Amino acid sequence: MSTAAREFERKAAEKSADLVHRGIVRWNIDQYDTGVGRGKTRFADWEAARQRCHDIKWEAVNHLDKYLLQFEQKVKENGGHVFWAENGEEARQYICEVAKRGGVKKVVKSKSMVSEEIHLAQALEKIGVEVVETDLGEFIVQLRNEPPYHIVTPAMHLNRQQVSKLFHEKLGSQETQDPPELVAIARRWLRKSFFSAEMGISGANFIIADAGMVTITTNEGNGRLSTSVPRIHVALTGIEKVIPRLQDLATLWPTLATAGTGQPITCYNTLMGGARRPGEVDGPEEFHVVLVDNGRSELLADLEQREVLHCIRCGACINACPVFRNIGGHAYGVTYPGPIGSVLEPRLLGLKEYQHLSFASSLCGACTDVCPVHIELHHHLLQNRRNAIHEGTHSAGERLGMKLFRWTMMSSGRFSFFGSLGRTALRMIHGMGLAGTALDPMHPWTKEHAALAIPRESFRDLWRKQNGSR
Amino acid sequence: MAAADNPSRERILGRIRTAVQTLGRHHDGPAGPMFAPVTDPLDRFQKECVANITECTVTANAAASAAAIANVLASLPPGEIFVQDAPELRALVTSFKDGRPLRWSSEGPPNEASQATITLCEALVAQTGSVLVSASNGGRQATVIAPAHIVFAKLEQLVPDLEAVMARIHERGIATKNSYVCLITGSSRTADIEKILIMGAHGPRRLIVVLQTG
Amino acid sequence: MPKVSLFIPCFVDQLNPQVGMDVVCVLRRIGYEVDFREAQTCCGQPAFNTGYWDEARPLAERFVRIFSSAEAVVCPSGSCTTMVQTFYPELLAGTPLHDDAVKLGQRVHEFTQFLVNVAKVTDVGASFPHKVTVHDSCHGLRELHVKREPRELLKNVRGLELVDLPYGEECCGFGGAFSVKYAMISAAMGDTKAGNIEKSGAEYVTAADPSCLLHIDGVLRRKKSKARTIHVASILAQTAAVGGASR
Repeated sequence: MSTAAREFERKAAEKSADLVHRGIVRWNIDQYDTGVGRGKTRFADWEAARQRCHDIKWEAVNHLDKYLLQFEQKVKENGGHVFWAENGEEARQYICEVAKRGGVKKVVKSKSMVSEEIHLAQALEKIGVEVVETDLGEFIVQLRNEPPYHIVTPAMHLNRQQVSKLFHEKLGSQETQDPPELVAIARRWLRKSFFSAEMGISGANFIIADAGMVTITTNEGNGRLSTSVPRIHVALTGIEKVIPRLQDLATLWPTLATAGTGQPITCYNTLMGGARRPGEVDGPEEFHVVLVDNGRSELLADLEQREVLHCIRCGACINACPVFRNIGGHAYGVTYPGPIGSVLEPRLLGLKEYQHLSFASSLCGACTDVCPVHIELHHHLLQNRRNAIHEGTHSAGERLGMKLFRWTMMSSGRFSFFGSLGRTALRMIHGMGLAGTALDPMHPWTKEHAALAIPRESFRDLWRKQNGSR
Repeated sequence: MAAADNPSRERILGRIRTAVQTLGRHHDGPAGPMFAPVTDPLDRFQKECVANITECTVTANAAASAAAIANVLASLPPGEIFVQDAPELRALVTSFKDGRPLRWSSEGPPNEASQATITLCEALVAQTGSVLVSASNGGRQATVIAPAHIVFAKLEQLVPDLEAVMARIHERGIATKNSYVCLITGSSRTADIEKILIMGAHGPRRLIVVLQTG
Repeated sequence: MPKVSLFIPCFVDQLNPQVGMDVVCVLRRIGYEVDFREAQTCCGQPAFNTGYWDEARPLAERFVRIFSSAEAVVCPSGSCTTMVQTFYPELLAGTPLHDDAVKLGQRVHEFTQFLVNVAKVTDVGASFPHKVTVHDSCHGLRELHVKREPRELLKNVRGLELVDLPYGEECCGFGGAFSVKYAMISAAMGDTKAGNIEKSGAEYVTAADPSCLLHIDGVLRRKKSKARTIHVASILAQTAAVGGASR
């Protein structure tokens, strides 16, 4: 078992037993479900929306070179810079260089999961740049020195008392039980940074090929301020985020908002296509788009799993997942939690160390049901499991066990015999009052379940009795 | 960026090109219209504004529009207002004497402590009660910086739905002429604390649309 | 008389045989001739779900051969039916038996879907005067779209009062090997499910999947809950003549 796997089991066990935590997540998910239920009624045909989103992403991902090149050309025509980063290291290096050249002392960041994926903040801090998270949820977890709990709602695990105490300790504000006042505290505090930072870093919900623009889907306004006031704007994105046309946003914006939060559309959908043009009142002087590969082109080459790149990071699968509902976002220990993370992270970080995320699922399929772009997430979990076995990462003991299982099941005679033997042995052990104890071979089951009554006869025994043998 | 400065570009592109030589699995299904058509845009726009907490005032003429704007300003604390320097707004602002300090977009970006901004817009969208703005509407900060944002719009700027507004962006070259375009729907908000919806995070707490029909 | 062939999941055969006998009872009652091909063992799902597709494949091929001559195959488990219908084509892709597997998949039916959609029967003359709630087993629900069928059948059971299960479509947490490998998560999910069953006020929780019921039952009894589990087939096997419920 890898270190990451062991850590996951420890955290998952801890959270699984935490009833208070379970209640908080349940409450949050209920709010979400109600909102999304309402939001879907605005659609005449939600399934049509899913299909259209799927078609847009399919077109983009299956012609990724064409659309990325078109995007790059347009951005450059408008005076922007495009950097293609093989991995996190190259992306960090490039951004740090831009910061150094620009004399940047402070960065304001709007939400970017890719920045978490590549651990960008730490790299900037190392070269003496202060990084300020400006999305309220991200700001809160940054103050707590914690990673985001969820890709859309980073601080869903906290209540107002915790936020009040946090602000009091870290910002010196007055404690308050009033959420609008807490938001006002954050607004006053962060405003200072918007107007003193030299660089703003954003993610990109989509990058548009025919317009050469990056778009962010937000509610608070921090994304707009971060990319309007500072002198330099860096947009960080995975290569898979490209879409062919501006027109596609008429489909994607409302669907993403509905699946993400239940809103008809988010408050601000901002399109940025470069530094300020001559004649514009304000805006950054420099515009950089960093296109990050970091394993995505490998996923692209895998025909079975290419569609995982269709993901629009709405978070619907995370909210639908019963495993997430019980262990929460931090237990995963990786950037992307929930089903999308359980499929993606073992591919990005390696099956050897992270396959456990694909195994820690009951394969219920709720994720596949809700995905607005029709990614068959639970099937991909199965494929990751198969690939992990093929890579030879499992113990010889387990492999032998499976061979024995197959050998037994290849013959009804052996199946019957061993079944009968097993039941007899179990009935004997249980008869001695050892059911549920450590000496019970069913102990892995009885750790969490009341002991099973073992029948004396199998179905085939009963059938034969009733109908004679065949 | 010269090829020598970004050697990974060719490597990444190479891998992508090889991969997409074969098309991936496609999920087939009906992809008809997602939304019912908008039948009464003005009515729909107003209803959506109520739902997303945009204050929409429909006026018949310039005089009524000026009065509506003056009314809003009267409800705000004293302080500078920032106005997009456009002929319609010059005319409107001249017709009411508010007395407070005024800064035009031709003078530069708004001051951080502006109490309100007044701008035109590129379009209004009935389906969602949205306002489309661009860098041409006084710049980027003009539509996000102050606690109140007043938009002056004309009825002919109202389009029925998102498909129409994206088409308009394309037809009028809004995204080629401007480095910045934003579709605003309601006032700034967050639900990051206990999922409680709170208005006025970093953007305007109040979004006011004065929509002149005549 | 129309004929069906039974597909009895391996764990039902060994640990929960009464469910199989109840399926036989109901099928005969509605006029079907039932056969049980004793050569059958396991559909291979335990190996498939844990990533051991190379071990699952020969079991799948064996299954396809055993049932290739069957007109209709009925299985009291949504997950095992799904294995054959949904996953055999993928597992046997590129092998000689692939097409046979696809064709067989169309003839394999989950028990409630067989009764309602194939046999076109919704009233099997059953009687079960208790408050019952339905847990929608994941594979059945999401891959086979089993939802309406158990309810239509239960509606016609004399004396049965159907009550809603809060979060009825949420996974119970069994997931096969998951219930042992990630026992604590599985237990938390089971605990949530058990809590909702108690909230529903039902005396019995039923499902079309005996694996879910095994897990839920273990959790309910561990919690010393008053609610009990019973497979849909076992409810339908009850007539006024037979008193009490079997598990």
